[in-house]
Amino acid sequence: MSNPYLDLTDEFNQGRLRALLSSGQAVVVHRLAIMSKDGDWILREDADAVGHVLRVLAGKGAQVRFGAPLDLRWLAGGWSAHLEFRREELRFRTDFVTRPPRIDATRLARMWADAEATGNEVVGIEPLAALKLTNREKDYAVIGELARLMTDPRAQLRYSRSSFDLLELASKYPEAVVEVARQRPLLGQIAAGRDALDEALDRERRMLMRVNEERLGRYLTAAATWREMWPEVQREIEGLPLLEANAIVTSRAEGVLPFEPAPAGAP
Amino acid sequence: MTGQRDEFLSEEDLDLRNLTEAELNAVWNLWFRQAQATNDLDAALYSHGVFDVDPAPHPSSRLGGTGPRSQESAHRLLNG
Repeated sequence: MSNPYLDLTDEFNQGRLRALLSSGQAVVVHRLAIMSKDGDWILREDADAVGHVLRVLAGKGAQVRFGAPLDLRWLAGGWSAHLEFRREELRFRTDFVTRPPRIDATRLARMWADAEATGNEVVGIEPLAALKLTNREKDYAVIGELARLMTDPRAQLRYSRSSFDLLELASKYPEAVVEVARQRPLLGQIAAGRDALDEALDRERRMLMRVNEERLGRYLTAAATWREMWPEVQREIEGLPLLEANAIVTSRAEGVLPFEPAPAGAP
Repeated sequence: MTGQRDEFLSEEDLDLRNLTEAELNAVWNLWFRQAQATNDLDAALYSHGVFDVDPAPHPSSRLGGTGPRSQESAHRLLNG
């Protein structure tokens, strides 16, 4: 027995590694929890990857959901594209990005290099923890357990959500704490004890959630006109094959949905 | 050491690591099938990406495909 999201990932990667299974389904592969019924992939940012995924999904009768077009110009600006298909009574949602949040270009390149080297089509534990720094409370529980799966104590110190775990790590690897504290200031609270550390963890979580809310807010603001237009666009593509529908969506989005949202703090 | 630790996920969640590959897939597939019961409720929502609400979710986003049959199926599953 297989799983449809694993099967889809295999189809996306037929002949070449193009897509890494991410987010909730990746959490299942790492055997932590089953929390999401939708699929999310990080795609390679090239025409072959986008074209192949579109053809695979066209073969399944997928349709475009409201979102950015599955087109490199928007994907390179951090937008997400959303498609959906049905098989009998099951609804499959397939969400795509090429520039996942909180993963810089160097780390993204390393993720692809690691995936190529290992043949693993699933986002690894440490980048998955970075992706999970969202504005949803439940993701921080997942990060807490993901950190326990990390083998490098420095990575654990970067992501742990547990004051118990951090105190234990600090007692075993004091030099690592000094090193990682430059990236994660709350580690400076370790010497102040568990209560101070718990407060710092709560504060850090709220701050991270707010940062993500502000990031999403920039995209939502940039998509305001596109959102207003969408019901009309959707009527236009109703019943059309996916490749045709995506071409229309792309053409309609040009000049309406900016390729990148305005940077933080822009008027 | 006190043996205490922070708990983030349930024992049931963490027990996934004790399953064989086939058992994991069976549980995963069953969960996915059962989760279809909420398709009607989350038709406009997003789990990933930078969008929050679909202004005009397609009727087939709801349970059971397109057409009247889907509405019946959704009603049956949501209301027993």
